[in-house]
Amino acid sequence: MNRYFREISVTAALGLVLLAMAVFAPGFFQPQPLLSLVTREAPTLVVACGMALVIISRQIDISVGSQFSVCSICAGVLAARGWPLAVVGPAAAALGALLGAFNGVLVAGLRLPSIVVTLATMVMLRQGLNLVQQGAFVNLPDRVQWFGLSQAAGQWTLVGAALVLLVIFGLAMRQLATGRWVYAVGTDDEAARLAGIRPQLVTFLVFVLMGLLAGVAATMNIVQSPQVQPAVGSGLELKVIAAVVVGGVAISGGRGNVWGAFAGLLLLACVSPALTHLHVEAYWEKTIQGAIILLAVVADGLRQRKRGEGQA
Amino acid sequence: MSADEHPPAWRKLLFSYESLLLVVLVAEWFFFYRYGTTTNRRGVLVGFGTLDRQFDILRHSCEIGLLALALTPVILTAGIDLSVGSLLGLCAITFGMLWHDGGLSIPVAAALTLGVGALGGGLNAGLITILRLPPLIVTLGTYSLFRGLAEAITHGAVTYTDFPASFLYLGQERWLGLPTQAWLFLLAAVVVWVLVHRTTFGRSFRVIGFSPEGARYAGLPVGRRTALVYVLAGLIAALAALIYTARLGQAKADAGTGYELFAITAVVLGGTSIFGGRGSITGTLLGVAAIAVLKNGLACLPAVIRLNAAEEMSGMLTGALLLLALTGSILPKILSTLRTRRQAG
Amino acid sequence: MRQTTSAPLLRLEGIKKNYGAVRALQGVDFELQAGEVHALLGENGAGKSTLINLITGARRPDAGTLTLAGRPLPGLDPAAARALGIACVHQQPALFAELSVAENIGLRLEAGGAWRRVDWPRREARAAELLQRIGAEFPASRTVRELSMPEQQLVEIACALGVGARIVIMDEPTSSLTRREQEQLYGIVRGLRAAGTGVIYISHRLEEIFALADRVTVLRDGVSVGTHAVAAVTEPELIRLMVGREVSQLYPPAESAPGAAVLELRGVGCRAAGMHGVSCTVHAGEVFGLAGLVGAGRTELARTLFGLTPADAGEILLHGRRIHPRSPPEAVALGIAYVPEDRRRHGIVLEMPVAHNLTMAVHPRLFPGAWLRFGAEQALARESLRDLAVKCPGPDALGGSLSGGNQQKVSLARWLATRPKLLILDEPTQGVDVGAKSEIHRIIRRLARDGLAVIMISSDLPEVLGMSDRIGVMRGGTLAAVLPGKSDPHTVMAAALGQSS
Repeated sequence: MNRYFREISVTAALGLVLLAMAVFAPGFFQPQPLLSLVTREAPTLVVACGMALVIISRQIDISVGSQFSVCSICAGVLAARGWPLAVVGPAAAALGALLGAFNGVLVAGLRLPSIVVTLATMVMLRQGLNLVQQGAFVNLPDRVQWFGLSQAAGQWTLVGAALVLLVIFGLAMRQLATGRWVYAVGTDDEAARLAGIRPQLVTFLVFVLMGLLAGVAATMNIVQSPQVQPAVGSGLELKVIAAVVVGGVAISGGRGNVWGAFAGLLLLACVSPALTHLHVEAYWEKTIQGAIILLAVVADGLRQRKRGEGQA
Repeated sequence: MSADEHPPAWRKLLFSYESLLLVVLVAEWFFFYRYGTTTNRRGVLVGFGTLDRQFDILRHSCEIGLLALALTPVILTAGIDLSVGSLLGLCAITFGMLWHDGGLSIPVAAALTLGVGALGGGLNAGLITILRLPPLIVTLGTYSLFRGLAEAITHGAVTYTDFPASFLYLGQERWLGLPTQAWLFLLAAVVVWVLVHRTTFGRSFRVIGFSPEGARYAGLPVGRRTALVYVLAGLIAALAALIYTARLGQAKADAGTGYELFAITAVVLGGTSIFGGRGSITGTLLGVAAIAVLKNGLACLPAVIRLNAAEEMSGMLTGALLLLALTGSILPKILSTLRTRRQAG
Repeated sequence: MRQTTSAPLLRLEGIKKNYGAVRALQGVDFELQAGEVHALLGENGAGKSTLINLITGARRPDAGTLTLAGRPLPGLDPAAARALGIACVHQQPALFAELSVAENIGLRLEAGGAWRRVDWPRREARAAELLQRIGAEFPASRTVRELSMPEQQLVEIACALGVGARIVIMDEPTSSLTRREQEQLYGIVRGLRAAGTGVIYISHRLEEIFALADRVTVLRDGVSVGTHAVAAVTEPELIRLMVGREVSQLYPPAESAPGAAVLELRGVGCRAAGMHGVSCTVHAGEVFGLAGLVGAGRTELARTLFGLTPADAGEILLHGRRIHPRSPPEAVALGIAYVPEDRRRHGIVLEMPVAHNLTMAVHPRLFPGAWLRFGAEQALARESLRDLAVKCPGPDALGGSLSGGNQQKVSLARWLATRPKLLILDEPTQGVDVGAKSEIHRIIRRLARDGLAVIMISSDLPEVLGMSDRIGVMRGGTLAAVLPGKSDPHTVMAAALGQSS
């Protein structure tokens, strides 16, 4: 019971927020806007799964927003050129995986700190994209919209796909040996090496997977609107890290799971429209996001302190 | 690549890395001089080689330089502060608001702004030292919080302008031949250099960076010293905000966006280890100079001007430079590991 | 007495290993038979850890051959070593703190690729069975982070058992075990031997080697200086082989009577550390030994006095004045010094020069106004190094380049520079070679003679008996008894265990 305390408390908080909304802003629960909200968040959920893995393995990746932007624009460009979605999707995923591999080589191969590496790649990708696109949007052909299906069908497909991915990751992290290796590496990579695991390979693959998921999320994103802007991924990394951390994944590694990240994401996703319904302006978003990250980390920190000083 | 205060045996190594950096800096400068300076139709020299441009470089480097100075002690303690750029923005807005909306005089508003900077640093310090939270996630949170507060206060739209000329003097005029803010930066650099290299504070920063538990068991006041570096960083960010506002003549919520990359790159380029313990202020200053020359030199190259890609190019190259500097710093370790790995075969 | 068969289970020939410029092993031959307990003895820096790393595949030799049951093993890595049945129980268990005991055992024991499904029920059942076999009392579902150090070692032993290892290496396994756990361990080792496993047993405790081992190999300065049957060799001979010269095992005698009371504890307790009701007095010029089993509260008492875990009950008086050290800086200002047990992590900073380490505790006095004075620093450093006869190239040598014994001396010198009123030593000669050990003992005696009040925590009973003027025995978080220095070892042990007689 104690083991899943964090995930349960986040879910409880989510329940409370939904309850509060039901009482104070029942307009939130209209089916169509709610479905749209959830669909908009579907790509974010995919990215959050990847980020959960990254943080559990004791790393961090703040370049994921730029990866998302680059993959989105590329996917958009390919789609605009007439490529079928069945090809564009994997292409975007492959591009994302490549970008992730670059991070992976530096962090796992050269043992450089991931915060600084991904800070550098984040800026390089963003500025590189700016250089090429000069801020121009990419217009998408109509057939791309909602996979060519009706809006409702497209939305349910996206939500379904994200949930399927969530379940796959949730199970894999618990039942698959490689999943457990991520936890082992995130706890103590030297002990992992002595246990016969290859921590560098695991770390590398985690970053590749992160990039791949960013690419998949990019495809899921472009089918939702007629245009792609280059700044589409702006702020994504912070949003996802906040969701994951709120959901109980510890920055120190080795703890947490994607279910908690899911609950955290839903919680944060509700905050924004809740604020709108409460007539709070949009420019408070960053403040609230930052405050939520801090509160979640403080809560974890206080719980740790109560558990005791620990060794030495 | 160790850089301590005074170890005679290490002096050679110290000299060799920073000398190399100096050489690279000079080469870089000459490169931009050669390719970034032209004569216009009237036969006047324009571009990189002009005194005006050089002073511009000096002006621009003061803000990032101050942030790099602020970050060096933080990184020496094996910490990190991602929020300095956002705090700069928040302080700039606070200053504008205190002066414009609050009606306070410039000196009073400036003093209060420094206080706000210290408070922001204090928030980081409190969370990191009292609650023992990881600096990475704390400053990631405050990175968002400070910027968010700046945006919220200005409703995302307001810009403060029309500062009095006496204030703008700080950022746009010269004093004794150099841009005014350069003197302020020099003062700050001297103070931080003394702090890091000649006081027990600096020594304890290094010990904390190498081994926080070791520092505790040695009776060093770890909590106080760690708090000091973050509060100091906040204070310096506030100073940078004042200079920024004076230079641009306006205070906006997006002030300082993206500065953290340049500041961290300058620090790492200057030889300070991201893992803590090793580093020097002179190295950081050289790193700042290298980055400032790069940023401004790029804006003078004809090709870059034609593409209107100054900001993009400087961002990309600085990112690449950071990666190269990091790789370079751990290269000795990798080479020796490969050598032993090959021997063991 | 086992018969030695002609073909050894494990053989190392001509093994050489360098770490950069350090020549750790320079041509070592070693052999292990099946069904024997082969002890490995040597001073710190003699090469024991390196040899073990090579056998477990954590490192590769630069030269020489490793043969297992006649088969050479050129490219050994940890996974291959495990597969071949080589298991190691480390001094500091390398377990995953955030994962459960069952998962830790599972990760070590389970073979198989990356894509297999984890069978949790089977994992947990297997772990529970192994834990029961070694008499561990905690459940397999407990997170390792919640286990004490001895319990973590038991998990490592469970792994070794579970692997069905042919070769089990034990690296100082009893250093943090209680007496009862030690006896359990001896039983397990004898059981392994009976089952035909080869056990390599590293220990500094000679009485353990004589009780348990069949043969002993002594390493000195990276070479093997002799392999003998334990029955055919004596303790002085072993020490001579280790050190290369005759070393007396006698401790320096006490030369002065204790003076005034320096430290007085009245019912001192710290709930968080599980300590309560500690009352005693320590005098100037006295070596007050602190004995007791691991976990009895000795280090906890030291940490409370030093301000790391401040007291929340009782009174502490220093020279008659009530004090309440709430942090190490406060304790230092009061004149309390603590030389910690873990010298590499807490005692010195490996990456900094010896001079910086030596002056680290005296910044307020040596550098008034927070201004560094390099001349004064170098002077103090040289004086300290001379005073304690530390072997090092100079004050600018890095801490990490010194041997264990010299690091311990630097750690001690750092605190002596503070001119403390009370000096607390926590396992001052643990992991230190015999030569440096007696030097440190002489230094401690000299300090006491010069009027310092010394509390010496030690798990080495002969050391406690040989060095102390009085012995405080901790048990269950409190001071159970204060005995005279020349007590019978059984009396001390009885007090530590809580038995009468």
